[in-house]
Amino acid sequence: MINVPDEVDGHRVRVGCDVVDIEDVQGSLAAFGDRYLRKVFTATEISDCQGRNRVHGLAARFAAKEAVIKAFAAPDMPFPLREIEVTRDGPLPLLRLSGSLAERAQHQGWLSSSLSLSHADCHAMAVVVVVCGPAVDDPMCAVDSAGAGGR
Amino acid sequence: MQDQIRDVLAAHGRMAVDPREVDDQADLYKLGLTSHASVDVMLALEDEFDIEFPDEVLKKSTFESVHNIAQVIESLVKSAA
Repeated sequence: MINVPDEVDGHRVRVGCDVVDIEDVQGSLAAFGDRYLRKVFTATEISDCQGRNRVHGLAARFAAKEAVIKAFAAPDMPFPLREIEVTRDGPLPLLRLSGSLAERAQHQGWLSSSLSLSHADCHAMAVVVVVCGPAVDDPMCAVDSAGAGGR
Repeated sequence: MQDQIRDVLAAHGRMAVDPREVDDQADLYKLGLTSHASVDVMLALEDEFDIEFPDEVLKKSTFESVHNIAQVIESLVKSAA
């Protein structure tokens, strides 16, 4: 038996994924409307989700935010959802962090990320992969600061 | 307060069990509360208690149990008073 390392050439790789029920997002829009939108999504995300697949786009972006939260692997950290933003470079989704989460990503040594979104009629999903360099004095992640894998 | 929280969870938590019948320390995520549903629960609790959840309490642990939710709301209500 072996412990499979979570590092490649000294770079830690973080991953997160999530799936969201489209009906849940429809329900939230019906129940809370703009309050739900403003609490969860940025103006850019709202603007990018228009037309026939609007709800699917929002659901995929929510899944992306949850995937990013999981990639941090710090369950007791505050996660203001609007600090995680999905933008676009043409058809390609990109991840942008701001505020406290941008700072935390810097502490964890995030170097680059890759985001993928998808949806079907009933569900939307997202996967994020993050490549990290050495962590920089992250008080929430003593293991990362030590540069060792595992908890 | 816990009754109000349980009613909100029943209305918006989309849980596998009736939250009015679970222990206040029971793990709500294990009982079916999803991350997305916790957003609805948060918005409904803001309406119910006339509060706003600040960024610093938007943690998984805040919505992990009825007890945890009550603690956070008590603190927010006191701050608002």
